[in-house]
Amino acid sequence: MDIDIKYIAKLSRISINPEDEAKFEKNMQEIVDMVNGMPEISDELILDKNNAMTLREDVAETGKFTREELMKNAPEVQAGCLLVPKTVE
Amino acid sequence: MELFERTASELSSMLRNKECSSVEITESVYNRIEKVEDKVNSYITLCKDSAIEKAKEVDNAIAEGKDLSALAGIPIAVKDNISTKGIKTTCASKMLENYIPPFNATVVDKINAADMVITGKVNMDEFAMGSSTENSYFKKTRNPHDTDRVPGGSSGGSAAAVAAGEAIVSLGSDTGGSIRQPSSYCGVIGLKPTYSSVSRYGLVAFASSLDQIGPIGRSVEDVAMLYSAICGGDKMDATSKMREYPDFKANLSSDVSGLKIGIPAEYYGEGIDDSVKTAVMNAVRELEKNGAIVKDISLPSTEYAIKAYYIISSAEASSNLARFDGVKYGFRAKDYTTLVDMYEKTRSEGFGDEVKRRIMLGTFVLSSGYYDAYYKKAKLLQQKIKQEFNDTFNDVDVIITPTAPAKAFEIGENSDNPLKMYAADVCTVPVNIAGLPGLNVPCGSDNGMPIGLQIIGKEFSEQKLFNTAYAYEKTMGNLCKIPSLD
Repeated sequence: MDIDIKYIAKLSRISINPEDEAKFEKNMQEIVDMVNGMPEISDELILDKNNAMTLREDVAETGKFTREELMKNAPEVQAGCLLVPKTVE
Repeated sequence: MELFERTASELSSMLRNKECSSVEITESVYNRIEKVEDKVNSYITLCKDSAIEKAKEVDNAIAEGKDLSALAGIPIAVKDNISTKGIKTTCASKMLENYIPPFNATVVDKINAADMVITGKVNMDEFAMGSSTENSYFKKTRNPHDTDRVPGGSSGGSAAAVAAGEAIVSLGSDTGGSIRQPSSYCGVIGLKPTYSSVSRYGLVAFASSLDQIGPIGRSVEDVAMLYSAICGGDKMDATSKMREYPDFKANLSSDVSGLKIGIPAEYYGEGIDDSVKTAVMNAVRELEKNGAIVKDISLPSTEYAIKAYYIISSAEASSNLARFDGVKYGFRAKDYTTLVDMYEKTRSEGFGDEVKRRIMLGTFVLSSGYYDAYYKKAKLLQQKIKQEFNDTFNDVDVIITPTAPAKAFEIGENSDNPLKMYAADVCTVPVNIAGLPGLNVPCGSDNGMPIGLQIIGKEFSEQKLFNTAYAYEKTMGNLCKIPSLD
């Protein structure tokens, strides 16, 4: 199995420096070779009904955080909004 | 004996008998930190001011005769991927270097409600990915028993801090062995609880279907007490189980007569050091002398567990870590042109190599054309591994295995070889894959370095795990000795 490291990196939204490409390719190749060779299992995946999640009522709760508190960690804020590069031309 | 050397249960009764104050305990721990931290490097963030303030509150409450929890006034270190309101939570990553959560994880609310004293946030492998704590962006934590060796990982700071006396107890998280393996390397007791028994709300997600927060301490009682304090259902975590949990410390019993212990041959084969096999089996013989019944068993799919683990955990990680894009919080790269360019540069500069490898592996196994060959096969294998464990628990009460294949390795020894690093988790990942509880208990040493055994039980059988460990502790005496580090 050959790994197209540039394609996988692109899908992952990670860019790899050209000088690191060979190292990552070798690492990834070895890891993928390691996870290969799982046995063929003909079973079907069964959902475990005893371990169903307990969902809470879909009710909005307010007052837990202020807008300012939540924006405090943002890299760039302008006029109370998160700032990102232009997304629509 | 100094206060930092004592266990939480000893300190708890001393506080009640007014033989010491919480401020004295907290200061003793900080003095110890001052003395040894430059050798061990357990902490990323210390919060001495808020800790002393909390300790004073507890002392006042005791003086007023208020009814406090058994853990009130006891210093605890918290892994840096567990959200603490107003205290940096970095996940040992450049990506979250300056991130201050606006909320507490549920476990942090619980330890606050128990009036514990948070000493600080402890080091880890970046985003909990690794087995040595060498993947931290900030520093390398060292093993208190030999500072040229790793403490294990990813909860290396949590285990090293407790082992060195820089905290009385700590919280770690375990996705594939990240509490048990460092506990084994550092010679402390650490529990990976049953999946769903501790709320994951506020734990920065790595692999949501496997992650669990758990306690680390220097006595079985301490770990049982801390587990009681943090377990329980939580409406903020839909995967947590609403059920009754016993008072684990009050129910401790060292009676193991008739306890059936399974020894799976697959965990004692090639790749496991002889010194480890001998130490673990010597401990099993001690339990046998106390009346336990030892049975040979087989868990044939064990050899495939590590494959299934890296596929499932990396697949989930690639999805969970997609949120780190430089928009709402965390690091953002400086120079970029378009939105996509900003995402790519932010993630390339903000994540370390191991995190990138896991994200790329996860992206690969979920990418078009490969899903059936990898992810689906891994999930089927997970089902089979679970079934094998469940069938085994019809015949035995607990299973005992080595926790790690060998003692702690040297810093730098496996840094360039991801596969060698992954092999350190071979005995622990099957337990996460099956959602079961696993407890590391120190059971000997190899040239001064601790060796640990792992007790595995069926879902929600933590009491049985504690009791087995308690019986061993009663027979052997104190299992966790703090090295002097002079």
